[in-house]
Amino acid sequence: MSTTVEVPVANPVVPARRTRFLANLWKVLRRKPSRMVGAFIVALFVALGIIGPWLYPENLPKSADLLAGPSLSHLLGTDFEGADVLAELIVGSRYVLTAAAVAALVTVVVGVAVGLYAGYRRGRPDSALMRITDFVLTIPGFPLLLVLTTVWKFESALQMGLVLGLTGWGGLARSVRSQTLSLRERGFVEAARGLGLSTPHVVTRELLPNIAPYVAMNLLIGVTTFIYSQVGLFYLGVLPYNSTNWGVMIQLAVNNGVTQTGAGLSYLMAPLIAILLLTLGVVLLVDAMDEVFNPRLRED
Amino acid sequence: MLKFLRRLAGHVVRGLVMIWIVTTFTFVLVRLMPGDPVQTQYETLLSKGMSPDQAKAQVAVTYGFVPHGSFWSQYGHYLWQLLHFDLGRSVRAQGVSVTTEVLSTAKWTIGLVLAGTLLSFLFGVVLGVVAAMRRNSHLGNGLSIVGSLLHGVPQYVMALILVTFLTVKFKLFSTGPVDGLLEPGFNGPYIASIVAHAVLPAVAFALSSFGGYLLSMKSSVVSVLGDDFILASELRGIRPSIIFRYVARNAILPLFTVLALSLGFMVGGAVFIENAFNYPGMGAMLVASIGQRDYSEMSGAFLLITMAVIIANICADMLYTVIDPRVRRGEGA
Repeated sequence: MSTTVEVPVANPVVPARRTRFLANLWKVLRRKPSRMVGAFIVALFVALGIIGPWLYPENLPKSADLLAGPSLSHLLGTDFEGADVLAELIVGSRYVLTAAAVAALVTVVVGVAVGLYAGYRRGRPDSALMRITDFVLTIPGFPLLLVLTTVWKFESALQMGLVLGLTGWGGLARSVRSQTLSLRERGFVEAARGLGLSTPHVVTRELLPNIAPYVAMNLLIGVTTFIYSQVGLFYLGVLPYNSTNWGVMIQLAVNNGVTQTGAGLSYLMAPLIAILLLTLGVVLLVDAMDEVFNPRLRED
Repeated sequence: MLKFLRRLAGHVVRGLVMIWIVTTFTFVLVRLMPGDPVQTQYETLLSKGMSPDQAKAQVAVTYGFVPHGSFWSQYGHYLWQLLHFDLGRSVRAQGVSVTTEVLSTAKWTIGLVLAGTLLSFLFGVVLGVVAAMRRNSHLGNGLSIVGSLLHGVPQYVMALILVTFLTVKFKLFSTGPVDGLLEPGFNGPYIASIVAHAVLPAVAFALSSFGGYLLSMKSSVVSVLGDDFILASELRGIRPSIIFRYVARNAILPLFTVLALSLGFMVGGAVFIENAFNYPGMGAMLVASIGQRDYSEMSGAFLLITMAVIIANICADMLYTVIDPRVRRGEGA
C-alpha cells in the first residue's frame, strides 16, 4: 500500500483538483496518438449529436436516385426514398446518443447507490440487495427489452434511456460493492470513522472519490453497450419508425433487401460503421482514462 | 460430495424462484397489455359464431387461463397449467402447443451458442496468452486494442457485415439452418449441410465475443506471471514449456467466471445472429411472435430463454467448484 498514494482525506480545494485532472488527462492523451484519435472521435460524435439535427431541415429532401451508391452530391449514397444517408446518420445520432447518455446516468445513480449501500452496510441489506442484483444480472437483458416493447413503445430517447438504465445497472452495482468492501477496511476509512465523522461524510467524501474513476470507466464502456441494445431493438423492427436513428436505418436497409441484393450497400453500412467508429473512439479513450486514474500504469 | 449436492440444491431452488418470477411477470404483462389480447380473441371467436362456452374453452387452451374471472383465479389456472409444462397454444401456428414449438427451436439456438462460445473461448484464450507474453510490443498492444474493440462491437454489426459480404457479394455461404431440399434425418448430406450452414453464424458469434475472453485471459496471465512460484520455477531451471503449463493452468480459472457471465449475453445475442442468418432459433421465434402479437408463444420463448440462461449459470458455477480445488477447500473451511 505504501507505493500508491490514496487521497487520505478529501481535499477541500476542489477547483485545483479539477484542473489537475484536466491537465493530467491532456498529458496522458498526448502521449499516444491513438488516444488523441479516440478523444477526437468521441468529441466529434457528441458534437454531431448536439448540433446535427439543426444542420438539416425536418424533412430531408428526397432525390430521384433510390439506394444509390456514394457520389459527390450524396457522400454516403441515398436510402430507399432517395434521402441522403449522411444527413440521416447525423440527424439520427442525437436519439442514439441521448438515450445512451440517459441510460448511463440512470445506471450510475442506481448502481452506485445500491453498490455503496450494500458494501458499506454489509449484513442483511447487503445480501438482500445482492439477491436483487443477481436477479437483474441473470434475466437475459435484451430478450427482456424485446418483451417490454409489447407494452411500451419507447416514444422518446428519454424513455428508451430510462428503460435501458433500469435493466442494466446490475454489473456496476456488483463491482461498486466489491470495491466498497475492500475500501472500507482501509486505514483512511477507519481513521475517518474513528474520528467520529458521520456516515454520509465517510461515504460521500472518503469512499465515493476513490470509486469515481472506476465508475467513470465502466460508464464509458457502458455507453457502447447501451447504443448496441437500442439500435438492436430498432433493427429487429419491434419498435415504430417514428424517430430517425441508426437502428431504424439498419432495419429499413435490411427490409429493402440490401442484404439480399447488395444494392444500396452504403445505406446499410453507414450506421454499422458509425457504431464501429464510436466503439473504437470509446475504447481508445478508455485506454487513456485508465492511465489517468491508475498511477501504477504511468510510464514516468 | 454432500456439500456439492447442497450447493446444487441451493442453485436449483433459486433458479425455480426466478422462473416463477419470470412467468408471473409475463402473465401480468399479457393481462395488462393495451387492447387485452385475451379479451380480443374471445370476442373474435364470439363474432365468428361460437357459443360463449366454446369460445371460453378455446381461449383457455390458447393462453392457459379463462377470459373472465378474477385475477387470482386466472393466475392460479395459469400456474397449474405451467406445472404440467403446458404453455398454451400458439396463435400463429394454428393451435400447435407452444411447448412443442418452443422446444423445436431450442436445439438450433443451443447448438449455435455452444459452437460460438467454444470458438470464441479458444480464440480468446490463445490470443490472450500471446497478448500477455508480448505485452510490451506492438503485437501485444494491437491485440489488446482489437480485443477491446471487438468486445464492444454488437453481434448484429458483425452478422450483417458477414451476411452481406460472404453470402450476397461472394456466394461462399448460404443463410438458413439447412438446405431445405434435403431429407431430414441422420444421413450424411443432411448433417454436412447443417454444419456448413452453421459455420458463418458461429464465426459471427465468435468474432463478436472473443474480445472479452482475450482481455480477461491477458490480465489473468499477466498477474500469474508475476507470482513467486513462476520466478522460483524459472530459477530452478524448469523448461519453459512446463512453466507455460503452470501459467496456463492457473490463469485460465478466472475465465470460467467470465464464461458464466457471458452465457446470458450470448443467448441474448443469439436473437440478432438468428435474425440476420435466418436461423429458426428461440431468439428468432421471440421476435417473430412479438411482431405477430402471438403472446402465448412470446411468453413461452422468453421463459425458455431465461431457463437456458439459468441452467447455463448453474452448470458454470458447478464446473468452477469441480475444477478449482481452492473453491472446494474454501467451502470446507
